[in-house]
Amino acid sequence: MGNRRLAAAALRRLCLLLLTVLSAGLFTSALVRLAPGLGSDERQFDLRRSNDSLAALNSGARTGGVLADFRQYLVGLARGDWGESVSLRRPVRELVRERAPTTGLTLFAGLTLAWAGSWAACLVLQLWKRTALDVTASILTGALLCLPAAVVALLFLYLSAAPALALAAILFPRIFRYQRSILDAGVRRQHVLAAQARGAGPLAVFWRHVCRPALAEVSALGGVSVSMALGAVIPVEALCDSPGVGQLVWQAALARDVPVLMHVTVVIAVATCIANFAADAAANAGVPA
Amino acid sequence: MIRRAAKWILAALFILMLGAGLFAPYGYEAQSRQEIASPPSRTHWLGTDALGRDRYSRLLYGGRVSILLAPAASIVSVLLALIMGVGAALAGGAAQRAATTVIDLALSLPWLFLLLAVRATLPLNLPPICSIAVTFALLGLLGWPGPARVLLAAARRQLGSDYILFARASGAASWPLAARHLAPNLAPVVLAQFWTTTPAYLLAEANLSLLGLGVSEPLPSWGNLLRELQNITALPHQPWVAVPLLLLIAALSCCQLAQPPREFSI
Repeated sequence: MGNRRLAAAALRRLCLLLLTVLSAGLFTSALVRLAPGLGSDERQFDLRRSNDSLAALNSGARTGGVLADFRQYLVGLARGDWGESVSLRRPVRELVRERAPTTGLTLFAGLTLAWAGSWAACLVLQLWKRTALDVTASILTGALLCLPAAVVALLFLYLSAAPALALAAILFPRIFRYQRSILDAGVRRQHVLAAQARGAGPLAVFWRHVCRPALAEVSALGGVSVSMALGAVIPVEALCDSPGVGQLVWQAALARDVPVLMHVTVVIAVATCIANFAADAAANAGVPA
Repeated sequence: MIRRAAKWILAALFILMLGAGLFAPYGYEAQSRQEIASPPSRTHWLGTDALGRDRYSRLLYGGRVSILLAPAASIVSVLLALIMGVGAALAGGAAQRAATTVIDLALSLPWLFLLLAVRATLPLNLPPICSIAVTFALLGLLGWPGPARVLLAAARRQLGSDYILFARASGAASWPLAARHLAPNLAPVVLAQFWTTTPAYLLAEANLSLLGLGVSEPLPSWGNLLRELQNITALPHQPWVAVPLLLLIAALSCCQLAQPPREFSI
């Protein structure tokens, strides 16, 4: 019965993944096709160009329609052809493959640090219940939440720190706040009070009676934290000059490089779906009966 | 007490920024060519930028842009979420399942990447006013799925409660039921979503503008005023450059403190 439910959930997730890829592709195709500035570049402001030359520039950008573009995109995707970057004159797939390890490493290190920091902070606050500690943590995370991710990245650039540290500093307050509220709700449950009354040690109570029942929610937060990290990686890599996918997207946005933006958006959508799927699977596997 | 103080500070900031035309000594694009990158003085309270523009005046005008348009974008998101969430909850059955799938799907899409894709395809000669409108409109239009999920759950919870059952048993139809009974009970959730999304949009605009993809010059916003921080090594010698950041932090802190407890998230 349990296996059947897991299989149904997996099938639902797979359908969602497929739908996400299709809708991200269709959405970006439509946006790009309908955007008023499609194909406009600096050459159109060259006063020496004749009207015919300008018309040729404009017509070159708009061939076909939204559906034709989408079909072309799907055919390319099936063949493993992601098109060519307009600004870098290189295949998009090659660019992404080249930069993905840097981003992967930054994401892994940033997420690991942020989660480790969040668990450590929750443990300290739980074991040493001091109002001063609680207030300090609230003020610190509140202040970090009020800083734009790009400013945090600049600060870490100034300190010559690794981009992963900047990412961790951006993610930590968000993860900590959610995790703390999940664990706080667990602490207030009656079975925790009963365990404490029976003389169980604080560490045992925290792990066995607070953390384990909350693992499903914390795992779901894991999926969400990957989405947050993927969003934060753009300013971090762009400002810390880290040659990853985030920096590629930023450069593509500045250079109006639509093929790169389209395909990276789809790749990121897929990565988000897989992260959520993994988080759900971990939650289902880890929830104690 | 703290919530009330935060609301008063926000109101004071709102009035100051709204009255930028009255309180700012110069226009946001007025240049003083003799005073390029000058330190604070009696004539320029926060000094001037690299183009000789008064920083204090630009801060007020920039604040006006951000503090007016972020809540406007937030209203757009929450309205879309309300229509989607309450509509789906009232319709129930297959429509509700379809709405949940659409929300899940929209939540899976990387909105920052989409936002960059759309910003990158706007015309090069787009007027600054349009760039502001487009930036915040996109934030508003792409930010509905999170609030929609919360509002759908809240509406479902309300629809399952005894008073709704009683109203239905008394013959109330769906839409009058929503207007008369559901709306007042959903109001606190809607308000909480508004307080949650507004600071998120202020931060998103700041991030986009710092990356050069938000509000374009010469119009100021809190985000593009922060671009001066990119020369962060000069900050110890020119600490007044960080004033927009401090003001942004103050506004966001007040947003955190002003909203109902345990509802803040970005």
